[in-house]
Amino acid sequence: MTYDASVRKDRDGHTAPSGDRPFWGRVANWGPYRAFSAILTASPRRQFIILAAFPILWLLTQHLGPMLQMLRVSLIDAYPVAPGTPQAFTFDNYMRFFGDRIFWQPFFRTLTFAAVFTFCTLILTYPVAYFLARHVSRKNQMLMLLLLLIPFWVGEIVRTYAIMILLGNTGAVNLALKWLGLIDRPIPFMYTSFSMGIGIVYLTALYMLLPLYSALEKLPQSMNEAAADLGAGAWTRFRRISLPLTIEGISSGCILVFLISTGFYATPVLLGGPSTTVFAETIAGFFHVAGDEWPTGAAFAVIMFAAALVITGVFQKVMNMLRKGDTK
Amino acid sequence: MNRRVELNRGNRIFLACVYWAFVLYVFVPLILMIVMGFKDSKFIGFPIRSWTLDWYTGVFSDAEVLYTFGYSVVIAILSTLISVIVGTWIAVLLEGRKFWGRAVTFGLMVLPALVPGIISAIAFRIYARMLGIEPGMGAIIWAHAVHNVPFVTLVVMARLSTLPKSQIEAARDLGADPLMAFMRITLPYLVPAILGASVFCLLLSFDDFVRSFFLGGYEPTLPVLIFAMLRSGMSPEINAIATVALVLTAAIGIWAERFTRRANKESQT
Repeated sequence: MTYDASVRKDRDGHTAPSGDRPFWGRVANWGPYRAFSAILTASPRRQFIILAAFPILWLLTQHLGPMLQMLRVSLIDAYPVAPGTPQAFTFDNYMRFFGDRIFWQPFFRTLTFAAVFTFCTLILTYPVAYFLARHVSRKNQMLMLLLLLIPFWVGEIVRTYAIMILLGNTGAVNLALKWLGLIDRPIPFMYTSFSMGIGIVYLTALYMLLPLYSALEKLPQSMNEAAADLGAGAWTRFRRISLPLTIEGISSGCILVFLISTGFYATPVLLGGPSTTVFAETIAGFFHVAGDEWPTGAAFAVIMFAAALVITGVFQKVMNMLRKGDTK
Repeated sequence: MNRRVELNRGNRIFLACVYWAFVLYVFVPLILMIVMGFKDSKFIGFPIRSWTLDWYTGVFSDAEVLYTFGYSVVIAILSTLISVIVGTWIAVLLEGRKFWGRAVTFGLMVLPALVPGIISAIAFRIYARMLGIEPGMGAIIWAHAVHNVPFVTLVVMARLSTLPKSQIEAARDLGADPLMAFMRITLPYLVPAILGASVFCLLLSFDDFVRSFFLGGYEPTLPVLIFAMLRSGMSPEINAIATVALVLTAAIGIWAERFTRRANKESQT
């Protein structure tokens, strides 16, 4: 695209033979447009207001609105409100969470699972990102990264189903193990925390891989060379250079993956079993029944979001401290 | 570039193995799923004795599946249109402009992308009820549109930051008002980013399950249909439907990736 050229031509006496010119000329001279243009250029302040009004309105009503309304519903005793009855402010919906084991157990399970799966994703994708960023030539890097992107274009449900086929009793893994003579009867992988982990890591790996890759790619080669000249071995170089300098990528990847893994609903339903019920299923349960269970569901969603935010916030603080400590 | 000091040969081979193992991990499940769709038996799993195309012909003559497919595509296109317009507008506001509350505005902008799936779906469900939007097509389009805005804004902002300021100034010097300068300089420059973001939104919407599930009425979108079928057991028809969805999304994804890469390269030179 050569916008430079066309602008320069315009500057040489407005003779640019561009096909759309009459159209834009007509627009610019059109009465209503000129009126609008006059309003627009009257003052920088007014111009900013015209530009900013819609986005700000959208952000407040569409991005913030649903979260605030969820918070509000979580604090009232019945929703939807029956006409004529006053709605009362209450904390009962939150209290319900602490009252019953079937509520808080999935909650802590979800957080534990999310943390463990995030860690697994990190361990799995760091070498992949490292290899791509440091050991592959520029040209091949793009191709090999694109190769990894392909499966991630495919939707959550389709990929979950693919994992179901892979791990089933007559699936490829069991077949391979049998063929190798390691097992006699199929291992029941499905409907366990193992199958759920494989599925969730599969779904989130890219969100870890990309931040790690871009962090590792920025790493200056000279540092490694200097360290090697000073006699540092591969492990020392990794621990003292690569790891501290990519800690930002690690922490943003981990936060992203953690937040995403706490929010999965379909994957735990399809890949998990009765002993792996996650909090998303608990929350969803309140919305399958009509009406007055919604405030409890909303309260539980608020609890989960708050917990996820607190955990990721603390995590980020710790990572920042680590980084500062290391570069000193 | 001197890569001599990087790592010794053994470590390098180890890393290459990890990479290819990872490639296997992400591809094998999908390949297995595709293969099972051609198996001549109701039963999913090995061994495969004979092959058939019956599942595909069955799926393509099933009016409900075809309708669901079209329904999902229409939802994806309409929600993408909204996301792209709003997202671009927000990007123009945020990029390269300093104003009071910019950081908060930025935070609000990325919020929908950071909220975990189930919570996002629940919040939209409650809000739709408040606004009086019935569960169904409109609600899904709205939820997808809001959820996808941050992705458009981030992509467009990245592109916008590379636009030479001098071009806008030149246009203004020649008498264009800010809107005209935007329409004739900024917008054409943003086209690759907007197209890339559109494809991304189309795929996000087409693949989305959790919002479609909680905001949908009686008609399912494609992922919701597959989910419902899966709950009553695996069957080769699901493989056929999923394979068609897979091929379509992967092909569009690859095309968009190549297109944006080429467009970016061209505008850099």
